[in-house]
Order: sequence, then structure tokens, then C-alpha cells
Amino acid sequence: MAQTNKNRRGQMPSRGQTASRGQTALSTADKIAPVILVLGAILSVLGFVLAFTIAPPVNGARVDGIAIIGDQMVGNQMLFSQKIFYFHMPVAITSFLALGVAAFYEIRYLMTKDSDYDLKAHLATEVSLVFVVMVMFSGEMWERFEWGVWWTWDPRLTTYFILMLLVIGYFVLRAAVDDPEKRASYASVFGIITFIDVPICFMITRLVPSSVHPTIFRTDSGLSTEMMIPLMCAMFGMLFISYGLFRWRLRTERAQEELDRMKQTLDE
Amino acid sequence: MARSVQVKTPSTFTEYKILLGKDLRREFRTKEMLTSMGIYSILVLVVYGAALSQSSQGVDVLQMSGGLLWALIVFTSLLGLNRSFEHEKENGCLDGLLLVPMDRSVIFLAKATSNLLFMLVVEVIAVPLYFFFFLTGAPVSDSWPLLVWPLIVGTIGMAGIGTLLSTITVNTRGKDVMLAVLFIPLIFPLLYACVSAATVVLVGGDWQTTYLTSLALAGGYDVIMLLLSWVLYGYVISA
Amino acid sequence: MPASDVQTDQATDQPADQPAILVDHVSKIFGSRRAVDDLSLSIPHGAFLSIFGPNGAGKTTLLRMLATLSRPSEGRIVLGGIDIKEHPEQAREHVGLISHRSMLYDDLTAYENLMIAARLYGVENPDARVRKLLDAVELSHRSMDVVRTFSRGMTQRISIARALVADPDLVLLDEPYSGLDPHAVDVFDQIIATVREGRTFVMVSHDMDKGLAACSHVLVMARGRKAAFAKKEEIDFDAFSAFYKKTVGMGVA
Repeated sequence: MAQTNKNRRGQMPSRGQTASRGQTALSTADKIAPVILVLGAILSVLGFVLAFTIAPPVNGARVDGIAIIGDQMVGNQMLFSQKIFYFHMPVAITSFLALGVAAFYEIRYLMTKDSDYDLKAHLATEVSLVFVVMVMFSGEMWERFEWGVWWTWDPRLTTYFILMLLVIGYFVLRAAVDDPEKRASYASVFGIITFIDVPICFMITRLVPSSVHPTIFRTDSGLSTEMMIPLMCAMFGMLFISYGLFRWRLRTERAQEELDRMKQTLDE
Repeated sequence: MARSVQVKTPSTFTEYKILLGKDLRREFRTKEMLTSMGIYSILVLVVYGAALSQSSQGVDVLQMSGGLLWALIVFTSLLGLNRSFEHEKENGCLDGLLLVPMDRSVIFLAKATSNLLFMLVVEVIAVPLYFFFFLTGAPVSDSWPLLVWPLIVGTIGMAGIGTLLSTITVNTRGKDVMLAVLFIPLIFPLLYACVSAATVVLVGGDWQTTYLTSLALAGGYDVIMLLLSWVLYGYVISA
Repeated sequence: MPASDVQTDQATDQPADQPAILVDHVSKIFGSRRAVDDLSLSIPHGAFLSIFGPNGAGKTTLLRMLATLSRPSEGRIVLGGIDIKEHPEQAREHVGLISHRSMLYDDLTAYENLMIAARLYGVENPDARVRKLLDAVELSHRSMDVVRTFSRGMTQRISIARALVADPDLVLLDEPYSGLDPHAVDVFDQIIATVREGRTFVMVSHDMDKGLAACSHVLVMARGRKAAFAKKEEIDFDAFSAFYKKTVGMGVA
């Protein structure tokens, strides 16, 4: 079964078991990865600049009149911190998307037991972790400046906090298993459960009525064109950055694998 | 050559009964899970005693009691789940089970059932003790018997996902911490819903909607997670 | 062989022309490591194969694949005409494993341990079968004692009984002598000799003398590959030891 599927649609480099995985010639994806990374960076920067220049300031936490969040009075404010949103939302979406990609590779791994899928899942989760940490950081800033509290168990924050713990748990688990096949299977199963658990977590924390402090439901009101442009710039910028990071990590990891294989051959 | 032993593959339910019977017989003989979990739960109550000693009794504790009760259950279950695969690992018994021509998910169902039973037995002791120590002077609502449903639904979910995770963590380094690291974030939504349901029936007032919503969500979590664990179990155990 | 075909009589699905074990270009790969590398073998019914090789040569990996506990990454394994990838459950009915780990529950009695195995395999009249096996390993008098109280040698005998409970055609031995005292080794050999008839055996062992004495075929593995494979009567023992030292030396270096 040593099928060598050379460059399936130019995306998937040869993943045949016997064929060498570290490419001698770069695949198309690897060639464009640095370009995409740079493009992503430019777009993100552009997005931020536009967010401060063309996007109009909007009302902050849209609460009717005055609400109390975590013992703080929050009124209808015009806040500069609104700008965090242009960074926060794209990063949040990207992080979850990266986790979805990881879950896809995890399912593929369990079906094929091809360690290459495990590597991809691992790296996608790694990228996801970077973005999840950024979400937590920007979310925390948002909360401090907009709502005036350090922490509240708001559904979104809670979900992302749990998500961060789960992603960290994924890496702790990987580090705690020596056998590579066991490690890959365990990590894949845990990754899939994580991906399913996170939306459930959001649902439950949002839908369970809490008697102690009412959840503030904020529907993000319609976005004007001036707001959409920077948002979309940042969105695509972040997506490109995540893809570029992923390919870049994949290339280094595969080079490492190839090196290991050569070392082993030399030993013999 | 003709074989002297006649073999007829038993039904899945028979296999389930054999495996469950084995766990129960072991526990009945050694009592290691029940004693360790039982003693641990009493120790947690003692810690609560100190932790709550400065709060004004009654109403304050009542507001928190749903949460405290679930904290007790989570930590006690964690202890039991950690041990549930210890004896399977000890002499390579798990390999012995994998050599038998049967579906691997039967192992999951049997183990999850035995874990569930042990956890429920401990709850039958620990929950009344909690009431005895902390709620005898509190204005507990008349709806308190309904506490039993969140307890059952929550315990089922924890036993299911916990069985899957402890199968993983028994093969890892630092397995005791490992299970907690994976288990607690994963059951967070279930815990959240169960605490809500437990709190409203203890505090009373206008509890029906909250109780039913929470319970339904917890039940949904159970269904999804149990199905997922059941499907994924084969990959974990034969890894 | 249709999967739905429930085999109650194990004799019928054992065509005489099929080798007991057919290993066809099997590899076990993970990442850059090849634990077993393109190995092919064919072992006839009733043979006793001894596998030698240095640590990390892939002996145990091969044995675990034969036991269906681990899946080959490439190639196929056919046991008595049953492809283990396609019909793993059917193949399992015919395999017994005796390892240096007992696979017994310490807190259950010998009888209970064997009964669990017998009932899981679906042995008809399990009680009679278990009593017969306990007699065969000469531990009937201790059948109601928990395994924890047994010596290593006695545990190993119960472990043999457990492996034989469904009367497997293929018996796999994974380092069976480790931890046994000389007397227990003799008892072990005697019991194996009584059940030798009509079964195929595969043994992984570091004990050269034991392994060579019992076997009919020898496989030497190094770095996951077949370094040598021969029938015992074809082996020149002096040349073999020199060769083995060389391969093992190479493997360790």
C-alpha cells in the first residue's frame, strides 16, 4: 500500500509512507506560505490603521440605560477601547477555525493512522493556541476598559478560558506520553472532544439562567461599511497569518523528520 | 484437526454483564474504590467546615450549597476515576481483554457503568452527610428532593467522559494530575448546568424554568459526550 | 470468507494448505521510525518459531501484530487463512498469548479469572473447561485462592491456562521465562510440551538455549528486518552463533 500520492491538488505533499516526506523540491504550498504570511501581516496592520482612522467610534457596551456588571456601573459609553474589537473578533474566529482544522486532521489520523496527519493536527493546535492566548489578552483588555471589571464569568470569556485550558491540556497530554502511536491517538481523540466541547460550553454558559448576576446579552449591531473594511482587512490578515505560520511550522518539522531519518540511516 | 473445545460467541449483553460483574466482584472483595472515595469525601466536608466557619450559617451557605456539593462530587469522582484502570494496567489485564474477540466499546460501557455505580454509592453517603453538616439550620426549599435528577444526570456524564479520559491517562506519566487537567475543563459545561439546577431546587422560589432548562442542557451534554466517547473508545484502548 | 459466517466449529475454517502464519511485506512505521520493516514470513501448521534479536529489533512489535494488539502500517498478516485486518475478531478466536505479564486480576481467584476468560470467549460448559485446565497446570488445589497469594511460577501456570482457554491454534509466547526460577522454568516447559501437539507456537525470548531447544524454525531480527530465517535442522549451530553475535553486535552498535 505504498501509494505515493504526489502533490494532490498541489496542497498535499506526497504523504506516501515510503516516499520521503521532507521535500527536496518545495511544494507549491510551501512556496507561497511566506508570501501569504507577509500579506497577512500587511493586511492586519492595514486593518488596525483603518480601524483607528476610518471606523467611526460607536457606542460601547450597548446596555439600556445603566447596567451593573460585576458591581460596576456601566453606562452607554463612547469608548476608544471599541477599537480592540477589530483585533479581537478576527483573532477569535481564526483561533476556532484553526482548532476546526486540527479536528479535521485528527479525524483523518484516526481513520488512516498516518503520522503525517497527527503532525498537521499538532501544528494546527499550536497555531490555535497562539491565537487563543491573543484572544484572552485582547478580551481581558476589552473587559477592563469597556466593562470596567477585571474578570466576569461572561459566556464568551468563560468559553475561551475553558478552551485555553483544553488546548493547554492537549499539549500537556502530548508531553506525557512516550510512545508516538499512543501519543497521536490520545491527542487526536482529546482534540476531537475539545472541538465538540467548546460550542457546548458556550451554549450552556449562555443558556443556563443564572440567578446571581444576569448575563448581559449583547447583539453586535449592524456594521457600517467604514467598520466592515478594517474588520475584513484584519480578518483576512489573521487568516493568512495563521495559514502562513502553519505551513512554516510544517516545513521545519518535516525537515526535522527528514534529518532524523537520515541520522538513522547513517547509524546503520 | 477437530477441536475439543466448542466456542460460541456470546452476545454483547452477556459480555457486558461478565465485564461489569468482574469489576463489581473485585470491588466487593477489596473495597478500595469505595473506601478511598468515601473517606476522601468526608475529608472534603471537613475542609468545608473550616472554610465556611466564618460565614453566617443558614442563608449564606444555602446560596452556595449547589456549588459546594458539586465541588465535593467532582473531586471525589476524580479520585475514583483515577483508580478505575489501575488494576487493568497492573498485570496487562487490558491486553487480555483486547485479545478476546469482542467489540471494544463493550469495555467502555462496562467500565463506565461500574464507575457510575461506585460514584452513585459514594454520593448516597456524601450528600446526606453534607445536608447534615451544613444545611440542617438553613431554610431549604421544599423542592430539595428534585436534587436527585441533576445528581444522576451529572454523574452519568462524568462517569462516561471520565472513563474515556482515565483510559488515556492511565498510560501517561503523572497520571493523577493528568486526569484532572483533561477532565475538569471538559466537564465544565456539565458542572455549570448541574450547579444551576441544584442551587435553584435548594434555594426555591421561582425555580421551575431554570431547573428544567439546566437539566435539559445537562442531559444534552450527556448524550453528545457519551456517544462521542463510545465512538472514540476503540481508538483509545487499542492504541 | 464471509464475515457473517459464524464459526462454531473451528476445524472447518482451517484449510490444510494455508500456512498457520503468513506475514506479507509487513511494516510498522511511526514518523521516521520503522519498528518492523518490510518483513515476510510463512510458517506451516504445527511449527514452533523462535524469534531472536537485540532489544529494539522489533520482535515484540511483530508479536503484538500477530496477536492483533497492534495494526501493521503496511502489508498484511494472515493467520490460518484469516486476514487479521479484515476479520480481526475471527482471528482473535484462534490466538492465545502468554506474556511475562500475567494478564490476571490479582484480587480474583484463579478459578474466577479463568471463568471470566472462558465466558468472554464463549466456551461451552466453561466450568468443566476451567476445571480441566486447572488440573492440567496442577493447580486445582489452589483454585479458590486469590492470585495475589501465588508465586510467580504459579501465576505463570494460570496464565498459560488462561491463554489456552478457548483452545487456540496459535500460541504466542512473549518472554515467558522472565522472572521464573529454574524449577518454574522446567514446569513451564513440561506444560508447554503437553499442549504442543497440533498447535503453532511463536516465541520471543532472550534465552538462546531455551529458544533453540524448543523451536522448529528460527527468525533473527535486527532493526526491524529479517536478518536470518531458517528451519532448525538446516542450521549449523556454530555458524549461527557467530552470525548472531555479528548481527546483535551490529544492532547494538
